[in-house]
Amino acid sequence: MSRLILYMAMSLDGFITGPGDDKGNPAGVGGMRLQEWLGDGGPEVADFRPSDAQSQIVFDEMLSTGAVITGRRTGDFVDYWGGDHHDGVPIFVPTHTAPADNRHARVHFVTEGIEACVEQAKAAAGDRDVMLHGAYTAQECLKAGLLDVLEIQLMPVLLGQGRLLFEGLPPEHIELDLVRTLEAPGVLHLRYEVRRG
Amino acid sequence: MTGPIRLYMSMSLDGFITGPNDREGHGLGDNGGRLFNWLDDRMSTGPSGQVFRELMATGAVIAGRRTFELADRWQGDHHDGVPVHVLTHHADDGDVPPGNTRFFTDVVACATEARAAAGDRAVMVHGAGAAQALLRAGQLDELEIHLVPVLLGAGRRLFEATDARHIELQLVRRLEDRDVTHLRYRVLRFA
Repeated sequence: MSRLILYMAMSLDGFITGPGDDKGNPAGVGGMRLQEWLGDGGPEVADFRPSDAQSQIVFDEMLSTGAVITGRRTGDFVDYWGGDHHDGVPIFVPTHTAPADNRHARVHFVTEGIEACVEQAKAAAGDRDVMLHGAYTAQECLKAGLLDVLEIQLMPVLLGQGRLLFEGLPPEHIELDLVRTLEAPGVLHLRYEVRRG
Repeated sequence: MTGPIRLYMSMSLDGFITGPNDREGHGLGDNGGRLFNWLDDRMSTGPSGQVFRELMATGAVIAGRRTFELADRWQGDHHDGVPVHVLTHHADDGDVPPGNTRFFTDVVACATEARAAAGDRAVMVHGAGAAQALLRAGQLDELEIHLVPVLLGAGRRLFEATDARHIELQLVRRLEDRDVTHLRYRVLRFA
């Protein structure tokens, strides 16, 4: 059974970017600090594999997902990773209006709402999980009760400013269960399951 | 050897330390009590009991004025009669706080006095305002965050947007118990 899993690196003060994030600087000012749990990077996604064994567990799980959902904003900023986040799995983007020219065969813009988007991604993923990336889309999924798991890379830093991961949620509590903690140098991996009902 | 100045705060994963509508007589806000379920285990021999005993062994308290007033001034005694240092923008001459309590308008003076009063014990900080002021002044040494597995959705945040200076932390201890993860961070430096 496919689950929808949010993967986000967050500072202790709740930010996922520095201030002033835009197309030229998707991470915002100083926001790359949050990506330091990853490897140094390179042309291939595998070049970002962390050196720490605990972090590798999370990274490998992330790259074994069978589909990706990302927000329009995040996706546009990074040009949908050139149309391939990892292994050529399909990328689904909830949006109000699909762009006139979609240059990426594996990127699907879904205009029928967040529920339809998740449904299509899960169907494409088969028995694998779906990776979700992006704050606004995460909030929409939380509000719609569609998110199953949050995998947070909690970074030991206070950024002070930027884009918050959790914003605009209703005041009804969403209860979580902490199901796994992996501690690596410079990052704490917290895996929460969203409690239903 | 003086002890550290250490913040103690319960926080939801989405960063809130109270529910919405916190006010006098309603200090935790709507349903903010959710963040303190872990205190049910405060007398236990487990991690939450340990953290609570450490908190109660601190040798002085620093609080912001808002927290102090919402807590009804702790009737002059937070625990064991240790001195309470209250940060405020303004103290009226005629307003003498109860017990072993003093108002401070200067953050560094407040921290210095609290360290001296605590001796080799830690100083406990409580409240978002005091934490922010001490952080900005470079006077906060550690953060003990009781991270609660819930998204409150609304309320008062521990960390409000401030200036863009990064503050690097180091996770020095992690204790897990029922309904809470106690994370102790050391403040390293301004990046």
